[in-house]
Amino acid sequence: MRGYELTIYDKAARPVWGIGLRLAAFCAFTCLAGIAQRLPVGTIPPGNRLMIIEAHHDDHTWQWGFGGLAARMTDQGYEGILVRVSNDEKDGDDGYPHNDMVNLRECKAAVAHIGIDSVISLNWRNDYMDSTPLQELRAQLILLIRKYRPDVLMAYDPWGHYDRNPDHRKVSRAVAEAYWMAGYANVHPEHLRLGLKPHRVPHIYFTQRGDYGKGHEPNVAVAHDASHVRRKANAMVAHRNIYHQPQTARSIRDELRKQGLHVPELDGLSDGEAIDQIEKWYMYWSSERYGRENGLDYAEVFYQRAEWDHRPGLTEYVKNNAVSQ
Amino acid sequence: MNFLKQRMTTTLLVASLLLVFGSSPAAAADKKVVLVITADASDYILAAGGTIAKMLDAGAEGYLVRVTNDDKDSWDLTPEETARRTREESEQAAKILGFKEVESLGYRAGELGGVSPTELRDRILFYIRLYKPAVLFIPNPYAEYVEVLDRFYVGQAAEDARRAASLSNYQPPFAVVGLETHVTPELYYYAQPFDPRRREAESTATFVPQPKALDIASTFDKKLRAAQALKTINHSTAMRIKDRLESTDRRLPLLDEINEESVNRLVEINIHKLAEIAAKDTEHSQAEEFHYAGVEYQIPSKYLQ
Ligand SMILES: [Zn+2]
Repeated sequence: MRGYELTIYDKAARPVWGIGLRLAAFCAFTCLAGIAQRLPVGTIPPGNRLMIIEAHHDDHTWQWGFGGLAARMTDQGYEGILVRVSNDEKDGDDGYPHNDMVNLRECKAAVAHIGIDSVISLNWRNDYMDSTPLQELRAQLILLIRKYRPDVLMAYDPWGHYDRNPDHRKVSRAVAEAYWMAGYANVHPEHLRLGLKPHRVPHIYFTQRGDYGKGHEPNVAVAHDASHVRRKANAMVAHRNIYHQPQTARSIRDELRKQGLHVPELDGLSDGEAIDQIEKWYMYWSSERYGRENGLDYAEVFYQRAEWDHRPGLTEYVKNNAVSQ
Repeated sequence: MNFLKQRMTTTLLVASLLLVFGSSPAAAADKKVVLVITADASDYILAAGGTIAKMLDAGAEGYLVRVTNDDKDSWDLTPEETARRTREESEQAAKILGFKEVESLGYRAGELGGVSPTELRDRILFYIRLYKPAVLFIPNPYAEYVEVLDRFYVGQAAEDARRAASLSNYQPPFAVVGLETHVTPELYYYAQPFDPRRREAESTATFVPQPKALDIASTFDKKLRAAQALKTINHSTAMRIKDRLESTDRRLPLLDEINEESVNRLVEINIHKLAEIAAKDTEHSQAEEFHYAGVEYQIPSKYLQ
């Protein structure tokens, strides 16, 4: 709470990405989460390839993102692909083309920490995606799904409420459309001319900001360990163009000083080093909190749809009666 | 006493609403009309077929508007052949349930995200004014995690159409050709059980549709036969399950041989389970779940006091 009070007045901090607002959001979420019941603990689905499809370069980094899950899966042998849908031209202070290029470069560096070495950028115009044609975007995603044939998809929750970001809304809907349609040969039959085959992704993990009302209610908690958190934290800090804000650390320390307080772990660090440390702590706090809520050390929570969930009348039957060949 | 007064007020208000908006040849006729809007051939059968059959068994007249042509859901068939077969099969299925007519609007399946919502609404509005239903079944656009998004788009358009059909400033040309405004008193939102929160009331306000489970034991067999009539879609389902299992070195003994018998058995398992899911924690053994907006839904709560 202290962090919130201190930094909400920090005029220098970026209003959207400022740590103060993120802490406020997180506090609001955790108050609600405190009364929630434990979620079932999820296991990693069998498979070889995961695909994260996200609107923005940094959507995997937030505490409701995919960093911990992806790190754990790539540790277990999964190959990871990240699809960045927008061009992120608005994220940063140095003009659109600069932001586009720097944010993409930092995204590649960031996801390397969580074991992903392939980033595909679709470069739709950032923050203007309400007007992006749904089916054009869907067609691109279907093509990529058929090309890479992921066993697991990760995306923002298309059923989440109150996500004001037009890019999140459009991309999550397009992912839901592509996930539904990529398995049908009569959809984009031209892809088959390239030797590609229809592919239904068997598992999908949806996430969304946990503080946006009851729109997104997770159904599974996935454990990760301290090394996954560390890598997730490093991935976040790698987005320097938007998260490396020394002035935020400076104002936090100024406020603390006025109250006769200080954080010993930050003593001797420059403002730049201090803000990196604070961002990393933030990842630990959130992972610990989700973990504690669900009887684990560290966790992320998702709405997972598993292999047969799209056939609710047959889910149980197929699960119980399928045998090895 | 208070309740009785409320019911009387409700009846009077609804009667006057119907007098204002519903004075048409169809509404004047004695037969209760049930209009069902569905995105695809299977959804309304799986989610609401038993309830609809029960109403039609009881003497209501049924009309089905199927918005897409289902041209994607097949195995090894062209879109054209898929659409042709499924149209025929969906008409057979509707006949089993007791429908009088089926209108297929012919939108390509899976493409409704690119269709103007207003266009879709006005297509549906046309049929509401034409048939003047007493009961309307529509896909629930608020049901979360419904994978077939055509159902979501159709649900949104149909909900909008029901309202717009009652207001004369929507589609004035329809009035010119004799399609007058119409208020549909009863509305059922249907969806298969994807949404884990489907049984939670949205709010306690009287005008908000409430969860409701209905017994379908008496029409279960009809529902099953209607679902089995959708041979192209069912074959596709069986092949997709088999294909996925084989690609991961598994098999389902039932589907070792995919033929009419095994596919029909798969459908039977599906229909039984869906009825069981809907009946869970209710007094019924086989049921369907809805969000239901009855006559009170049209009357703001302040008038019910
Ligand atoms: Zn974002």
